[in-house]
Amino acid sequence: MKRRAVCLFVSILIGGAGGTGAWAAGSKDKADTKDADAAGAGAGAGADVAGGAEAPPPDISGDLDLSDNKASEDAAATIKASSTLTWQDIVVIPRKRFLKGGRFEFSPFVGTSINDILIQHYVFGLDLNFFITDAFSIGLQGDYYVKQLTDRESLIGLQYNRIPTLNRYLWSGLLNFGYVPAYGKFALFNKSIVHWEIFVSGGVGITQTEIIPRNISYEPFKTNAITPDVGIGGRFFLFDWLTVNYMFRDYIILDKYEPLTRGEPDMTMPNGVKYYSAADAKSHADGKLVNNIMFYVGVGVFLPTSFQYKTPR
Amino acid sequence: MMKRIALTFLLASTAPFALPSSPARAEHKSPLADAPAIRKRVELRDKRFEVGVGAGSTVNETFYHGVVLNGHLAFHITDWLAIGGAGLFNVTALATGFHDELTSTLKDPMGEDRAPNAAVANSGMNKPSMVLAGQIELTPFTGKFALFGGLFAHYDFYLYGGPAFVSLVKAGSTMAPACADKTMSDTTCITTGSKIGPTFGGGIHSYFNDWFGLTLDLRDVVIKDNPAGRDVNGDLVADKRDLTWSSHWVVTLGVTAFFPKADISP
Repeated sequence: MKRRAVCLFVSILIGGAGGTGAWAAGSKDKADTKDADAAGAGAGAGADVAGGAEAPPPDISGDLDLSDNKASEDAAATIKASSTLTWQDIVVIPRKRFLKGGRFEFSPFVGTSINDILIQHYVFGLDLNFFITDAFSIGLQGDYYVKQLTDRESLIGLQYNRIPTLNRYLWSGLLNFGYVPAYGKFALFNKSIVHWEIFVSGGVGITQTEIIPRNISYEPFKTNAITPDVGIGGRFFLFDWLTVNYMFRDYIILDKYEPLTRGEPDMTMPNGVKYYSAADAKSHADGKLVNNIMFYVGVGVFLPTSFQYKTPR
Repeated sequence: MMKRIALTFLLASTAPFALPSSPARAEHKSPLADAPAIRKRVELRDKRFEVGVGAGSTVNETFYHGVVLNGHLAFHITDWLAIGGAGLFNVTALATGFHDELTSTLKDPMGEDRAPNAAVANSGMNKPSMVLAGQIELTPFTGKFALFGGLFAHYDFYLYGGPAFVSLVKAGSTMAPACADKTMSDTTCITTGSKIGPTFGGGIHSYFNDWFGLTLDLRDVVIKDNPAGRDVNGDLVADKRDLTWSSHWVVTLGVTAFFPKADISP
């Protein structure tokens, strides 16, 4: 019996010592958390105090000399006061969500033309950009087009007995330079924040076009047209490596159209009509500057897939 | 005996660790957990009236582009929901490039084919002269942006939809007969008068301060219309059976003012 009592006494002593250690460890964690949050928030007064008002105040009498140390008194008062702090007392200055400098963007997209009432083009393309800085980029773009004639085009023949002169686009390749003039963020129902940016882009390239002959028995011809382009679009940042992109881009195509007089009777020509052959039609083609405005959406995959902040919080 | 001693020892030595552990864990709950995404936010819309005016143009019209003036009045019931109305008034019309190219190929006098001359073709064309719309407006996205890293502004995106009353008038100098319910002979007729259809669109407010801002708006009005006044369904005559649902897109840029004074959130 005596032995049992001794064992119980010893075990309580050991347990009590462990418990004091646990309390001490808890206070240290709290201090660490406070420091970390204060650094993260950029505000020394904004301490994260565990448990808020519900948690018991820590026992700090063993750590602080309250008898003759004014600084210690202030610290103790701060800690006691901070036990009632809430999110309203903590200043948070988040860092920029996404860094692009020195990274590649691999961006497939799909889109449609929006400004031609007679023929619509769907585009499937790829942007490959390298960001020299967070704001400036240089990139290559490739596009493949699929055409669709509109209802209005089909009505021209019925209503006016005319066939429109139209070209279709086959593909294009461009060299573009980009700049990010604006960035921002928005709140979704004041619960979460989404970051975005607007970028402008411009460059030059080549678009291959092909005429749609008014007489289907005639041969079409293709043109590699010089194509300056300008655009404005945006990115929504989802992850460190993924964005959702949209873009309005005006492809200014110096194109060649089927001559209006093609097919008129001309006995001096080999087939008895003007510009029957594709080469002949192309050499007499009507040049015209066309604005092909496309809207497209896509995703941006950034490589490397992560980035590091170079400046402290 | 030894077993009981060991159990007692175990319980006594672990109890002090277990008891304070719950408050210790609770200490790690961040007070930021319940924080809203934005604090001290200027409530730019909640319980406020909005009045706006602007100007713009129709987009992708077939024959005539309209230059429009517009007005907008709304009451924002909450930060994200508003009820309002808008009016768009066509002040002038400009012939499209397609119109000019088409009419330049039409012969006068008419040939033996179905093609009309330019005067007949123009007499069937119409244009919207006025749009009056009632609409429910949603503002799901709000935020702020930096322009060139130095100019900061609040903004929001909004969407809306509702019914619209559209007044159609002749676009050319002459006017074909009004489209009949059914005809056996007319090849050109004109659709005028009031039409009702849905309207929807969206835009962006960019605020200069807490009561004044810039608005960019894109609206579509869908009505049953025949802008050419010519045969559509292939029966070689033009009448009301040739009416089809047609989109009329309008883009406007304007200024907008909000009142009364904006509140500040906690």
